[in-house]
Amino acid sequence: MNIFLLLGMGLFILVFLCLYRAVFGPGVLNRIAGICAIGTKTLVILLLMGFIYNRVEMFIDISMVYALLNFIGTITAAKYLEIKGEV
Amino acid sequence: MPGRLGQALVCVCLRLKYFNEQREMTRVTDDIIIRTVARVIIPFIQLYALYVIMHGHHSPGGGFQGGVILGASFILFLLTHGLEEAKTRMSEMKAGLFSSFGLLIYSGIGLLCLILGSNYLDYGKLSTILKVIPAQARSLGILGVEIGVGIAVMAVMFSVFFDISTGGILPEDEEDLGVNK
Repeated sequence: MNIFLLLGMGLFILVFLCLYRAVFGPGVLNRIAGICAIGTKTLVILLLMGFIYNRVEMFIDISMVYALLNFIGTITAAKYLEIKGEV
Repeated sequence: MPGRLGQALVCVCLRLKYFNEQREMTRVTDDIIIRTVARVIIPFIQLYALYVIMHGHHSPGGGFQGGVILGASFILFLLTHGLEEAKTRMSEMKAGLFSSFGLLIYSGIGLLCLILGSNYLDYGKLSTILKVIPAQARSLGILGVEIGVGIAVMAVMFSVFFDISTGGILPEDEEDLGVNK
């Protein structure tokens, strides 16, 4: 069994723990932190998929875009919550 | 007809109700960390977007994806540096011009192939005016089309965010509409 596959499966289980925090978490900040952590884990899973399929140079492009949009999305959500006065 | 009128009235009321909230999305953020990080990261985002557009034919991505990344960099600038400074870099009129210009590149290359006597967007015929072999002409034609798509998508992405965040009402229109800030 591939070590990268094992690592990916471990991260896959951890995504569900973050998803629990994003769905049931008390307060808005916990939810945003959960979604942000899911985005980061997805990025690493994408890179591990690149190692499994032996095409890292292709998957690294996708994961960079994912990280970038995750960053901008978190900033936008944080700014919206600041305006609404929820934080 | 009355239904359409009522719909328009509801739209206007909603826009006025949420106007201040929407406007707040484009004010300058008072957090210096966010502003500095955005200022440092935006050139790299744009460079990466150009890489995605240029390498569209042998790696994931292409015109649309690169355009979205390029648009995201402008959206990040608008979020962090406010409406006034963003309008000096990319105003709404410029965004409209860029979207039309990108579409013009795309359809221009397509129509050029049509004029040269082959199908729409059949780049092989471009070899007669580019003075290269047909395979190279196809590669160059696809690159040109992707640049056009990238420019158009970037401008449209920015324009959509601009319209949503200002509610379609720019500061210079406020006196005409009687909206107090």
